[in-house]
Amino acid sequence: MKKLFFVLFLILVFAGITLAQVGMKKKRPLPQEYGRSIINNYSEKAGMSPVVFDHWLHRAKFTCRLCHVDIAFAMKTGGTDIKAADNIKGFYCGACHNGKMEHGERKVFEACSKKITQDDARRCDRCHSVGKTVRKEYDFAEFTAKFPKERLGNGIDWEKAEVDGYIKPIDFIEGVSTKRPSFVIQKDFSLAAKVEGLPDIVFSHKKHTVWNGCEVCHPEIFLGVKKGATKYSMIEIFEGKFCGVCHRTVAFPMTDCQRCHTKPVQ
Amino acid sequence: MNKLAALIIGFIVFVFSQNVNAEQDWKAEFDDICSKTNYAMSLTKDEIKSLIKRCDNLKPAIEKLDESAKKVYLKRLQMCRDMFVFTLESKEQTEK
Repeated sequence: MKKLFFVLFLILVFAGITLAQVGMKKKRPLPQEYGRSIINNYSEKAGMSPVVFDHWLHRAKFTCRLCHVDIAFAMKTGGTDIKAADNIKGFYCGACHNGKMEHGERKVFEACSKKITQDDARRCDRCHSVGKTVRKEYDFAEFTAKFPKERLGNGIDWEKAEVDGYIKPIDFIEGVSTKRPSFVIQKDFSLAAKVEGLPDIVFSHKKHTVWNGCEVCHPEIFLGVKKGATKYSMIEIFEGKFCGVCHRTVAFPMTDCQRCHTKPVQ
Repeated sequence: MNKLAALIIGFIVFVFSQNVNAEQDWKAEFDDICSKTNYAMSLTKDEIKSLIKRCDNLKPAIEKLDESAKKVYLKRLQMCRDMFVFTLESKEQTEK
């Protein structure tokens, strides 16, 4: 018996040392899970499951700017103080999920309502679905089957998907969005890589503003007004700052190095 | 008696229309200000300063809205204001 305890003790010590040295490998999310947010500001307190928000479906239909500027969703999960009452009044999720808005041939289902019936409970589950088996209206594999592919993230080249006409993200909702004239696009620029031999980074303002506008990035994410004024490292980016706000969670991940470290701007 | 009723109804309609106008006023001002973020870099420094001031002047009207509208529009107004401040600082830095 003592021997058994000794062996168990040794196994535990060995496992502890191994994990302390190499850490736990983070599981790479499945393509349909990449960009998924779990929102639980009030759900569990109200006796409901937290909300599962799939970025892949929403980004296919709406621009980032529409949701993060015009509808005022924060850039960080849980950063928006969304309450059912807000949705009912037509704010946040309720800006589209109001039972009236039409997208293509479908009517967008109502997010929250004052009166709840048996049918409504099933409707609640469509968003409040953590820990539940809910049949989604859109299946990722089916929805993206013809989309141009990429290696990482959702496994989709979203930019090309728009160019090829597979997606047409909406950038304006009547009564919600502010009518704006078209952009005065700022110049692209290159950033020198800090590691010798690594190609420079090409930053395209054009590519970023088409979905994000100006306010998504400036000044909340990129405060520096002059090129080079904001100093940041890959470590900070991997921690979710600067480019990492999106390119770690929703946009293609930073492990796809050559998509940023490409070559000097021509 | 009929006159009194007509006066009361008239008064109610007047008060209601004033509220509607007030709501339309702040929204129109908000839309006009925030519609300029796309081309803020092409505005002059004085124009940007004026927009920042208009943001500050509009804030009290938005603070009077109900909780949901206040929350959303205060954040949206702040984003517009921040963008203008950012643009102004950018222009000032470039001049140095």
